[in-house]
Amino acid sequence: MADIDTSSTSSPGRLSLSNFGVWGTILPLASAWLVLIAVTGAVRSDFLAHQTVLAVAFTMAVVGTLAVGQALVAISGSMVDLSQPTSLILSALVAVRLLELEFAVTLAVAIAVLSGAAWGFLNALIIVYGKINPVIVTLATNFIGLAALFLVFQIAESPINSSFRAFGLGSTLGIPNIWWPMVALIAVVGFFLPRTRYGRRAIAVGGSRFAAQARGISLPKTRFAIFTAAGAAAGLAGVLFACSSGPFTPSGGVVYLLPVIAAVILAGVTLSGGRGNLWILLLSVGFLSTVPTSLVFLGLSSDWQAIIQGLILVVAVAIDGYEARRGTR
Amino acid sequence: MAHRPARDLLTGPVASITLALVVVITVGLFSVGPRFLSASNISIIGQFLAIPILVGTCAGFALLAGVVDLSIGSMVGVSAAIFGTLLINGWDVLPAAAATLVVCLAFGGLNAIAIVGFGADAIAATLGMLTALRGITYVVVEHWGVSGSLMAFHPGLFTFMNLSLWSLPLIFILVLLVAAVATLVVIKTRIGRHLKAAGGDERAASRAGISVPRVRTTALLISAFGAGLAGIIFVGQIGAVSRLTGFGLEFQVYAALMIGGYSILRGGVGNPAGGALGFLVIAGATNILDLNAINPYYVNIVIGLLLLAAVWLDRLRGGDSYE
Amino acid sequence: MNHLSLRALALSAPLALGIAIASTGSGMAQDTFKVGMAVGGMECCEWMKSQGDVARALAAQRGWDYYELSNKGDAPTALKNAGLFIQEDVDVVIQFNGQPSVNPALAQRFGSAGVPVITYDIAEEGMYFVGIDNLAAGLAGGEALGQIVKEKWNCEPDLVISAEGAGAGIVNTWRTGGMRDGLKRVCPDIPEEKWVSFESVGQATVGLPAARDLLAAHPNAKRMAVVGLNDGGVLAAINAAEQLGRADEIIGWGQDGAFITGPNVNPHLAGSVFYFLEGYAVYAFRDVIDHIASGNPPPVKHDAGDPASRVQPCPVSAEQAQNVPGLQERVAMLLEAPAGTTAYDLFCPNK
Repeated sequence: MADIDTSSTSSPGRLSLSNFGVWGTILPLASAWLVLIAVTGAVRSDFLAHQTVLAVAFTMAVVGTLAVGQALVAISGSMVDLSQPTSLILSALVAVRLLELEFAVTLAVAIAVLSGAAWGFLNALIIVYGKINPVIVTLATNFIGLAALFLVFQIAESPINSSFRAFGLGSTLGIPNIWWPMVALIAVVGFFLPRTRYGRRAIAVGGSRFAAQARGISLPKTRFAIFTAAGAAAGLAGVLFACSSGPFTPSGGVVYLLPVIAAVILAGVTLSGGRGNLWILLLSVGFLSTVPTSLVFLGLSSDWQAIIQGLILVVAVAIDGYEARRGTR
Repeated sequence: MAHRPARDLLTGPVASITLALVVVITVGLFSVGPRFLSASNISIIGQFLAIPILVGTCAGFALLAGVVDLSIGSMVGVSAAIFGTLLINGWDVLPAAAATLVVCLAFGGLNAIAIVGFGADAIAATLGMLTALRGITYVVVEHWGVSGSLMAFHPGLFTFMNLSLWSLPLIFILVLLVAAVATLVVIKTRIGRHLKAAGGDERAASRAGISVPRVRTTALLISAFGAGLAGIIFVGQIGAVSRLTGFGLEFQVYAALMIGGYSILRGGVGNPAGGALGFLVIAGATNILDLNAINPYYVNIVIGLLLLAAVWLDRLRGGDSYE
Repeated sequence: MNHLSLRALALSAPLALGIAIASTGSGMAQDTFKVGMAVGGMECCEWMKSQGDVARALAAQRGWDYYELSNKGDAPTALKNAGLFIQEDVDVVIQFNGQPSVNPALAQRFGSAGVPVITYDIAEEGMYFVGIDNLAAGLAGGEALGQIVKEKWNCEPDLVISAEGAGAGIVNTWRTGGMRDGLKRVCPDIPEEKWVSFESVGQATVGLPAARDLLAAHPNAKRMAVVGLNDGGVLAAINAAEQLGRADEIIGWGQDGAFITGPNVNPHLAGSVFYFLEGYAVYAFRDVIDHIASGNPPPVKHDAGDPASRVQPCPVSAEQAQNVPGLQERVAMLLEAPAGTTAYDLFCPNK
């Protein structure tokens, strides 16, 4: 049965990460961010302070790291990984338990990241060998994963007086330590994705799996690579999460799912694949992480924040859709 | 695609899910005994399923038309909050319900403007709407509720929700009726063919003279209407609204719809009967676990495995293969 | 045909697995007394699962049947479970509800079926109230924190932060609001603008971003006192202060005692109020269920002020809490203790 591409906007030009159109995403996003900062700063001058930078950067760190994984999945045409709440907490739990067993920090972190990668690999196994669509697979594995995690633990927390925790709470150059690995990950993946064979294959598969197959690209191999890498990113996010926050529960990762997907969408990564620039994630994650902080400064309750954040996303994707439509005409 | 409704029921997506239901019933009869099919047990399941099946049936129209509507869970919440608030402020049921539905249709209209009008990605736009509507629910419940709850118990409505017909809940029978009519519309009428055409191949549909924007707008409005109506039923059944009303319902609904033969990646496949059967399969399996007093923390593991198994089997039968 | 059986097999596998796990010892004798337990089923808190574990053990000690379902923190599921309890002929039901708004509908269902219901902590007409006076617990915690604020800062904090958990409904009003009122009893003159709130959802990591934003928006506040729905919510504010490098002078006092025991207690959590939520079943069995089982049902007392069984709040400083065992250990010790001994009797250092 032929799989029909419903996105009328996709065209062969989208198959590669052409620079064309990237500025169309960057400029509005950057200016929206600047306007937000300027307006809030005009109303509350103490917004333009180091405390704000810290608050926003801490929010960015975990969201941004998860967004890299989510973006990889989307760019390669697999839409979304709905099981990130599980991989995040799985990795955080592994890190905490290993530290409690007095493993060296580096070893514990490495194993934790690997556990995230293993989770991604498991998703890929089911997707590739079951030939089941990733949205369903990750929806199901997240049901299973969260329930299984709850059977294993109810509460966990990294040791309070550990170097691990001290790293998570500390800063370098006035920016939280956990912010830097996120930036490094975005930079590295953003650099190598369009420049390495695997990266280009992933983008090609996302653009059109049939064209990619015709070029001899192995879909299963690409899927394994993408989901394992995305799982590792979520694993890293779990480590950053565990070292910087207090006691967490098995469902502690659920709140990240929708904001991360929103950040990926705002960055111009189409969920149907084939398009996306990782570096723009820094802008979208930064913008979306600044919104709640700004709203608190402006005195709006968190109830109103949800309304405004939701409307921002609707308007942004509407504009994006409008531009894309105009671009293809 | 050949159009043979009767045969579709045996060989189409619905065939797998019908079989799955047979399996669930068989397992239920063996492990629970005859009371698995008792009127009491089916009533319990039916009361619970009225809302999800209604929401799923209507959201299925959007799926068929190729536009995923993620805002349905929040729409149920916001509808319940508005309807409950109106009841508390002394409105009668019918005008309150009408006003609530108008508001929900307006929200559905916003979805349509973003997606159909501007060409926004449906998942992205309705994800934004999901968040915004959740926020509106918070604000309404906070403002008109007491300590995080809107107590809107309405004796007449509660009685209606608990009426029985042939020893089954009337509301369940009504919702099944809606699903049945929707199924006929989808597989038998021109409207259904237009829906499937718009969702299946947009360009071919346009060439065939079908107005894809109009079909998709209508489908998004139907989706919003169903969720709005479900919010009203929620107030009738529960008698109260909280911040969390409808929270996460979209995941439950789409899991069941995908088991039931819809595809979230492309439009044009599936039908409401399959979707309703999907809900029955999940609810039946959950019920078996409940009646066997299985540690409730295992239930989601079983549901997840069931979801994978059902979709995998459907695929083996020639269903939606993902490569 | 081959396909059919394959399909049937694969579909049955997950179900059979689940049934196999659980079918260990589900006796079906009709005349055995049967206790139903609806656990909250939210993944926020360790004690929610333990509430079921303790009830299960107490029922087993008495040779009774025990039937546990999870409300999953969801109103429709709670209502569905009510139907199942009634259908399965339980003799009494214990309800824990994270969704108190559904209680009237539950009372209606159980009432018309004639099944006695015990409700933990959320009062509802027609149900036996077993639980704590949440308002009293809030006030006690607030007063204890007030003493510290008075001694250390002469009742002049820069900020009093409320870690709300609006989803908990009236319980949040009692506990968080009660803590504010208790603090005001000791320090009546803290100006209006010093009182700020954030939504913590009652979980340390979930409430963290909102707490961070709140602190950033009050950049000059140094002396900060934190009250809240529970220890987790209070910790969200403390953890936020740690991240922003402003934890030197933040002092929190929690509710529920979830994070005040063990080796990993946050140094800024000065104390908490133990409810020993895991052990509520001891009260329920001792004061209500045992009497129902022996054919002498006690009068239905639904009022938190005049309850069927009163759980004592146990305010403790962090120092006192050092000698209190952690939750899992408490559950084990509770089940070894003579019948009717409560966790308060066993563990409260401050009776």
